Amino acid sequence: MSIVDLTSMGESQVALRKEINERLSRLQDEISDYCFQCAKCTSGCEAHKLLELEPHKIVALLKRGLIDEMVNSDIIWTCMSCFKCRERCPQKVAPVEILFALKNMAVASGKQIPGKYTAMLQSILSIGLIQDVQSVMTRDSKTLKRDDLGLPEVSKPVDVAKFQMVLSKLAVEKV
Amino acid sequence: MGNKIGVFICHCGINIASLVDVKALTDYAKTLDDVVASKDYKYMCSDVGANLIKDSIKKHKLDSVVVACCSPRMHEHTFRGVVEAGGVNGFNLEIANIREQCSWAHEDRVRATEKAEALVRGAVAKARLLEPLKPSKIDVTPMALVVGGGIAGIQTSLDLADEGFRVYLVEKTPSIGGRMAQLDKTFPTLDCSSCILTPKMMEVANHPNIELHTYSEVVGVEGSIGNYKVRIRKKPRFVDMEKCTGCGDCVEACRLKDRISSEFDMGMGKRSAIYMPFPQAIPLKCTIDPDHCLMLTRGKCGTSPLCVEACEADAIDFKQKEEEVEVDVGAIVVATGYDLMDPSSLYEYGYARSDNVITTLELERLISSSGPTGGEILRPSNGEKPGSITYVLCVGSRDETECSWCCRIGCMSALKQVYLLKEKLGDDVEINICYTDIRSFGKGYEEFYRNIRGFKTNFFRGRPSEVRDMGDYLSIDIFDTTTNKLFEIRTDLVVLVPALVPRADADDFARVLRISQSGDGFFLEAHPKLRPMDTFTGGIFIAGCCQGPKDIQDTVSMASGAAARAANILSKEELEAEPQVACVDEDACSGCSVCISVCAYNAIELVKEDDGKSHAKVNEALCMGCGACVGACPSGAMQQYGFKDKQILPMVEETV
Amino acid sequence: MKKYALYPGCVMPTEQYAYEQSIREVLPFLDIELVDIKGFSCCGEPMKSVNQLMTLYLSARNLAIAEKQGLDLFVPCPICHLSLSECQRVMDNNVEMRDRVNGMLVTEGLKYEGTIGMFHTVDLLHDVIGVEEIKKHVKKPLDGLKVATHYGCHLIRPSEIGRPVDSENPQKMETVLKALGAEPLDYPEKLDCCGAMLSANLPESALTKTGQKLQKVQEHGFDVFVDVCPWCHRMFDSRQVKAGETVAAKLEVPVVYLTQLLGLTFGVDREKLGLNLNLSPVDKINLGGK
Repeated sequence: MSIVDLTSMGESQVALRKEINERLSRLQDEISDYCFQCAKCTSGCEAHKLLELEPHKIVALLKRGLIDEMVNSDIIWTCMSCFKCRERCPQKVAPVEILFALKNMAVASGKQIPGKYTAMLQSILSIGLIQDVQSVMTRDSKTLKRDDLGLPEVSKPVDVAKFQMVLSKLAVEKV
Repeated sequence: MGNKIGVFICHCGINIASLVDVKALTDYAKTLDDVVASKDYKYMCSDVGANLIKDSIKKHKLDSVVVACCSPRMHEHTFRGVVEAGGVNGFNLEIANIREQCSWAHEDRVRATEKAEALVRGAVAKARLLEPLKPSKIDVTPMALVVGGGIAGIQTSLDLADEGFRVYLVEKTPSIGGRMAQLDKTFPTLDCSSCILTPKMMEVANHPNIELHTYSEVVGVEGSIGNYKVRIRKKPRFVDMEKCTGCGDCVEACRLKDRISSEFDMGMGKRSAIYMPFPQAIPLKCTIDPDHCLMLTRGKCGTSPLCVEACEADAIDFKQKEEEVEVDVGAIVVATGYDLMDPSSLYEYGYARSDNVITTLELERLISSSGPTGGEILRPSNGEKPGSITYVLCVGSRDETECSWCCRIGCMSALKQVYLLKEKLGDDVEINICYTDIRSFGKGYEEFYRNIRGFKTNFFRGRPSEVRDMGDYLSIDIFDTTTNKLFEIRTDLVVLVPALVPRADADDFARVLRISQSGDGFFLEAHPKLRPMDTFTGGIFIAGCCQGPKDIQDTVSMASGAAARAANILSKEELEAEPQVACVDEDACSGCSVCISVCAYNAIELVKEDDGKSHAKVNEALCMGCGACVGACPSGAMQQYGFKDKQILPMVEETV
Repeated sequence: MKKYALYPGCVMPTEQYAYEQSIREVLPFLDIELVDIKGFSCCGEPMKSVNQLMTLYLSARNLAIAEKQGLDLFVPCPICHLSLSECQRVMDNNVEMRDRVNGMLVTEGLKYEGTIGMFHTVDLLHDVIGVEEIKKHVKKPLDGLKVATHYGCHLIRPSEIGRPVDSENPQKMETVLKALGAEPLDYPEKLDCCGAMLSANLPESALTKTGQKLQKVQEHGFDVFVDVCPWCHRMFDSRQVKAGETVAAKLEVPVVYLTQLLGLTFGVDREKLGLNLNLSPVDKINLGGK
């Protein structure tokens, strides 16, 4: 038989849901199935007031298998990863981790990576850090760099080629 | 042994027959040595099945019977009766569990049938070696011990006392009454709690068959069903019970008046060092708190103790000592009640940080006219009337990080209090209720809930993440799943509905009684549906919240039920003891006493023989048949009737 | 001298120099020697939204490099600390993942064994060094300075995997601050997030979170706001002006790293502690002498 969501005419994406649940159990002990929608997560969500993220709704949609509508949305990128939802959930569900999984899925499916993430990724690939040494302003408007402060050299990968090789292969793998 | 064995295979409807080939099994059994009859039937535990067994016993002159069916926990007792009725000793019966251990555990038809054959083969091997056993008789002491003087203990005591049994009712605190005495009104009838409780308390006080021991604790339990020896420690009140009239002059005079946090008032009020827990206390006698009284802690109270001066009956006695009393009883009913979870562990709700975040029981004391505020609802921080009160339900309940269970009474207690608050503070008071589910399951409960929905109260479906103390007010953000909106509630008083948990000393007390606890720490019932008041320890029963959270009606029902279960034992002059007890081969026994050291029931003693040697001797009345001594015995001299090595080993060989 | 390998992460060594300066100045007083190691990379946590396996790999390789030194790690950035801790937990509890990641580490000649421990600034100061030792070096106590502490999110949650500080009532910074003579006070917004993790894709929302918290801190009348995370500090200090603009408020809250405050009480020169790099009005802080 079938269950169809009449607003989106979407059916349960059972395989995707199973994939996400397996990934969650590989990395944490929490399972999303136990959620009883008390919304304690959303009540305390740091991103809710500003950006209308509803972690309990994310979990509910996952339970229903309506994955695509989340993967294709912008809302999943509003999470601040403050971990309050995972901390306080009475059923040990972790909406924040579900959101990471959904974001990973969005990237893997070729959706555009928002904001500066691409730049950070490229920086890691080339020098191993999300950004290179910056010039900073002092309170009395002078400019300083790391070298000016007598601090030792920044620690970076030694054999860059090998490092890049592993990361490039990784970039296309899933958890 | 010249055995003629009958094998009876049960289909158990389709429970066994759908996987195990019962016809093939029946035929197989016929091929075994000494099996002279092998029959199968759909429901061996039915009358037809029973008659089949009895007729076969007569027809084939059977010596032993094997029944291949469900777990012996289900019907071993039943079949023992059937076999006895057929003329064979009930212990010449062996059960082969081909349901729980076979058909219910596997999926492959062929291999399940092979396994069933092995199990039957083993059972037959044992059946060849079974010996008839005769249960020994135990005398029953027709008296009962009831531990805990709350409504459960009171009800049980009255039921048993009315039936003519002598009851020792032991209560830890200075008065009986328990949690019900702390309540103002009860749901759903809104009866005044004290008004319905005190008549029963008076009955207990006046009943000729009840011996009340208040301010006392059970410290030791020895013996077994029908014959328990219980040690009761009576703590010193430092007040002569014969002389004290309960007038309360001492309480007013006490140097520490209104300085000590009152346990009865859940810390919302203060008392003196000499105190009466509440006005309707039974017994109506004062007690001195040894942890705070100046005379008892420092040896002097000003120039002289003011209570002594005030007492016209000269009842104060600082020289009183603790007493220990021993009583003999045939059955014990445990009714020790519950505690509320301390919400401090859910720090985010602000209980530890703010005076204006309180629990339902603390609010109940404010609502009660005999409470610390005389029934006025006042904010603890400034003593002013609150304009807005917000409830948070399920604090620590249904929470995998605290108590995974539902507290069962939280929803109804909160709704009841809402009714009383509206009554006291008027219609204008804003009452908000943050809930996860409303569980109004009992008779009259849904009507009560409907009533409250009709009041001007704000229901928010959701659990708040935190309670913030903003100084003048408390702030709660709550996502309401009914409207899908986030609300900020600014409120004067927050009432948390905490989880119900076992008493702090439940673990220790369970050990004293030798009863089991379930995973949540409450005392364990023998079967949740069919034996809810029994424990696994014969002669000990449980009633009320010590078994699990419940409301007053379920508590009283359970209390009467436990009384009936206890009366079942007490009304008999003697009981039959399970005959599968330990037995010693006195010639083989070297008197090493290892068995004595492992026996939890003190059922073995060392007996000296004439030639200077000694051997172990089992007191069959005390032996519970646990088998610990059998396992511990290094020489094999200790065996167990019905499970001797020479019976078990062939069973193992044949099965494998 | 107790030796720790320093794991600096990305933001501290490339931008938040004041944190690194104050750490290197203060820890020798307390008998701690930091060892710099070559070959580290980003911990991977900023990439968790993009590819969590990469995050796992990056954390694992850094742990493996540190293990080669046989020293426990000092991780001043809570984001890194969480990433490395979670990686350790997965690697220690899931054999399948451990084998898979170790298989990937082979290319770089590394292997994760799970042999070292990890500390952040707060538990290093509170648990390892201890307040009694810290008190000994205080030359210029803070004279009842009213301090608002900011632990951030990654240092205290998720408590399930074990964090250096309690998640609902963290007090370790308060204990240290009291030993310095300060008066740290509780405030309702204490556990609120700075918003830093949103700056990659929603910078204005991130600044709104920052501004909202600082506004409250200012309203409560605190003398100084203390943090222990380069990402948080970047929001509260480096971007305070922008945050103020975003929430339409004039923010003038002095924001310092805990280690900077520590250094001041030890009598260390302001510039050596990187106080010239703080963009918030730190000159307002009145201490027992400059």
